[in-house]
Amino acid sequence: MSPQGPAHKRQLGDETGRDLAATASPALQVVGRSAPRKDALEKVTGSAQYTTDIVLPGMLHAKVLRSARAHARIESIDTGAARQVPGVHRVVTGADIPQHIVPFYGYFIKDQPIVALNKVRYVGDIVCAVAAETEAAAIAALRLVQVTYEDLPVAGDIEQALADDACALFDEAPMGVVPTYGDGASAQLRPRKNVCFQFNYRTGDATAFARCDHVFEDEFRFSRMTHYHLEPFVSVADVRGDAMQVWASCQNPFPLRKELARMFKVPENRITVHVPYVGGGFGAKNNVKTEAVSVLLSMLTGRPVRFCLTMEEGFLTNTQHAAILRLKTGVMADGRLVARQSEILLDAGAYSDGSPLVTEKAGYRIPGLYRWEHIDTACLCVMTNTAPAGPFRGFGGTQTSWASESQIDMIARRLGIDPYAMRMRNLLKLGDPFVPGESGIDSDLREGLDLVCKEVGYHQRTHDTSGTVRRGMGISIGFKDGGGVSKPAQARVKVSTSGDVFLQCGTVEIGQGARTALSQITAEILGVPLDKVSYAPINTDYLPFDQGTNASSGIAVMGQAIERAANGVRDQILAFAASQLGVDSSALQLGNGAVLQGGTPHPLAPMVMRHYGGTGFEFSADGFFKAAGDRHAPLEAPCVFWEIGWGAAEVLVDTATGKVTVLKLVASGDAGRAINPLMLKGQEDGAAVMGLAQALFEHMIYDNQGRLINADPLTYRVPLAEDLPLDFVTITQEQGHGPGPFGAKGAGEGTILPIASAIANAIHDAVGVRITRLPITPVRVLEA
Amino acid sequence: MSDDAALVNGQSECALRLTLNGAERTITVPVERTAADLLRDDLRLTGTRIGCSRGVCGACVALVDGVPAATCSMFAFQLDGCDVQTIEGLAQEGKLHPVQQAFVEQGAFQCGYCTSGMILLTKALLEQHPRPDRATITEWISSNVCRCTGYAQIIAAVEQAAARLAGEEKT
Repeated sequence: MSPQGPAHKRQLGDETGRDLAATASPALQVVGRSAPRKDALEKVTGSAQYTTDIVLPGMLHAKVLRSARAHARIESIDTGAARQVPGVHRVVTGADIPQHIVPFYGYFIKDQPIVALNKVRYVGDIVCAVAAETEAAAIAALRLVQVTYEDLPVAGDIEQALADDACALFDEAPMGVVPTYGDGASAQLRPRKNVCFQFNYRTGDATAFARCDHVFEDEFRFSRMTHYHLEPFVSVADVRGDAMQVWASCQNPFPLRKELARMFKVPENRITVHVPYVGGGFGAKNNVKTEAVSVLLSMLTGRPVRFCLTMEEGFLTNTQHAAILRLKTGVMADGRLVARQSEILLDAGAYSDGSPLVTEKAGYRIPGLYRWEHIDTACLCVMTNTAPAGPFRGFGGTQTSWASESQIDMIARRLGIDPYAMRMRNLLKLGDPFVPGESGIDSDLREGLDLVCKEVGYHQRTHDTSGTVRRGMGISIGFKDGGGVSKPAQARVKVSTSGDVFLQCGTVEIGQGARTALSQITAEILGVPLDKVSYAPINTDYLPFDQGTNASSGIAVMGQAIERAANGVRDQILAFAASQLGVDSSALQLGNGAVLQGGTPHPLAPMVMRHYGGTGFEFSADGFFKAAGDRHAPLEAPCVFWEIGWGAAEVLVDTATGKVTVLKLVASGDAGRAINPLMLKGQEDGAAVMGLAQALFEHMIYDNQGRLINADPLTYRVPLAEDLPLDFVTITQEQGHGPGPFGAKGAGEGTILPIASAIANAIHDAVGVRITRLPITPVRVLEA
Repeated sequence: MSDDAALVNGQSECALRLTLNGAERTITVPVERTAADLLRDDLRLTGTRIGCSRGVCGACVALVDGVPAATCSMFAFQLDGCDVQTIEGLAQEGKLHPVQQAFVEQGAFQCGYCTSGMILLTKALLEQHPRPDRATITEWISSNVCRCTGYAQIIAAVEQAAARLAGEEKT
């Protein structure tokens, strides 16, 4: 089997292009190989079970009435006729929520109601929920609900929301918390009207600007995409007495459990969250989405309740953050970067969701991977009357990479310096701290940049200005601090009498291949073939705690907990075997599924049964990992790993029509060590194509009155196979500096980051105009 | 009785005869039932996924008389007299179809939600074009959405399956 697709090139640090599996250390048997996914058989035969497939006896179906007003006070709701519809069991408005329930949810700020209480804040806000025997009956009932509103002024975008005369979305500040920060970082809740959270970071001396030869100020606009996960937001809740079970298409079952416990006043040990396969998330499926409605209705009806959104409703449930980014950058005439001051305004939509965290990260990432004497950042999370924004692949890094890598290019051209040379001059070196108090950069940035430049032929590019169609090339380096902030991970590995291995951890299989890659790590350490390792289903009663499947933390954070658990159970087995064999455990190792003493295998089962009895025993060990806190690190603890995406693009620009054709797109990430190269390539391809779509066409089109114009699957355009560039190359680097098992880093988000700026930079290279607003449509190119 | 009932001579239910994954079936369904709901809810063939419910994404594709059809956007009664194939009918006696095998080997899926539709689409493509060129593959695959893979590995899987079915093992 060849793991390499036709357009895939592998690259090691030495640029010899040797096959990864062949170059993996000969000691490695499972890691570094493109083993077929553990979920492959279920997914290609259709038997894989998702939350959409869960059916419980007596299950009711929920549907909700959504506001068609962007901002309005609710004057009255009449549900009388709806309650009479055959099959309807319960109709719930804000007034019907039982008093003992805390009806708000959110991450840092608890501002989103289960059902609107007195006002609606965006088109799509939930006004009323119904549980009925069928979805059709629930929809029929909702058609009979009469609502009268008093319209309020609409803050349809960032600028309207920040205007002096803007109408406040929240009259009073909702309950919220601010994290503790280290050197240079700070944050505050609600610093001004319609701003729910502000993050600041500052280092160095502001007088640095005065010493610069040039100071450039530029503004960039970032568009907003929806996640478009194909499996809808869906949950099934079954509340029985004081206990509940919830099946959810969810990326973070343990935080969901905690939030439901807080809202519904149920102990966490009376809530079981099950997560079957998740049909895509890309960040959207963190924290409460459909679950509060299904739990509330199940509680009120005494029946299991399924709540499955349509894709149109999904568009109105969670999105990426649109943004305005203003950068003031001071440089010396020779291209040395000195100081950057930035103001970032993120469009959070109507409820805070994950926005404060995205605000923190965008504010932190705006300097890019360069040396600076002075950084001064303010990032504001602006509430508007649009759909709530939240975590989205790249998590603020996509916005900042767009602006920062565009401006670096612009400054280089203004100074008459090649953009490549400008970057090479200023990039941080391997091991340099990102900012004071931070961990060192764990990739050689120049090596990666040279790689993508070589692949696209950057240094050989020529400019023919004779025709109307011009050719150009652009490069970019996007990044994010990966692995979450100070994120803990716990895992358990058990080995049965017969040597079968049980891996238990809370990382959700959302498509990224967690079951396979984490099992490969376990199998490698325990010296067993991959098929000897099983991956436990996600059930919060039995699994060790986990904060969630996000921040590219699976390999680099959870992987370290698994490594420790597997090492622990290995040591137990070796110590046990040593005592049985009467030798020192240092004389033993695990391999080929047995205990090896020199070349002699000792099967585990006879030893176990001799000692523990014929019914057997299980060896079990837990592993824990958390980056150590450090008060000098700006974000509580040093970053676990740096997720970097290098990009290069070659474009044709038709100066008569404004049409941009991407001839070649090169994207590269550094995995440190690829645990499963084939799956890794799929992640890097997918992220790059998402970036390509954002660059050229995909976006949510809001008018300035809070109305989403392309609010359906047909008019909201996502990339199709035909949108791939003629030449599309992803390059997996394995530089080997990662903190995870076998030198691995996290992956899966890096290659979305550099694409839009690489394409904008290529357009500038081709035709000398600068596009500062996404997506880069033909009209915008013509106007520029 | 719903307005839709008029479509089937005023009845609220109708009896369908179809061949489903090779077996003759007679099924009585409400006239307003979609084909996808028939497959998923009544017959529990949940390998047919519902993504957009608007005939756009292709997660719900089944082969109806060999042609890929968005079952979310057709009525169950439209299957009367048809030969219907779902993902559950593809593997024979525990052996994966060459298209399924190629998807596994090329890593042509991640979350798996589009996979049933993509595999059936590929099967239909290869029946019409046993050795499709890249443009033909791209044109066909562009009728379904995959949000995870970026399509390169799907295209590779189609090429591998074509080579396998044509008896030329891909290197």
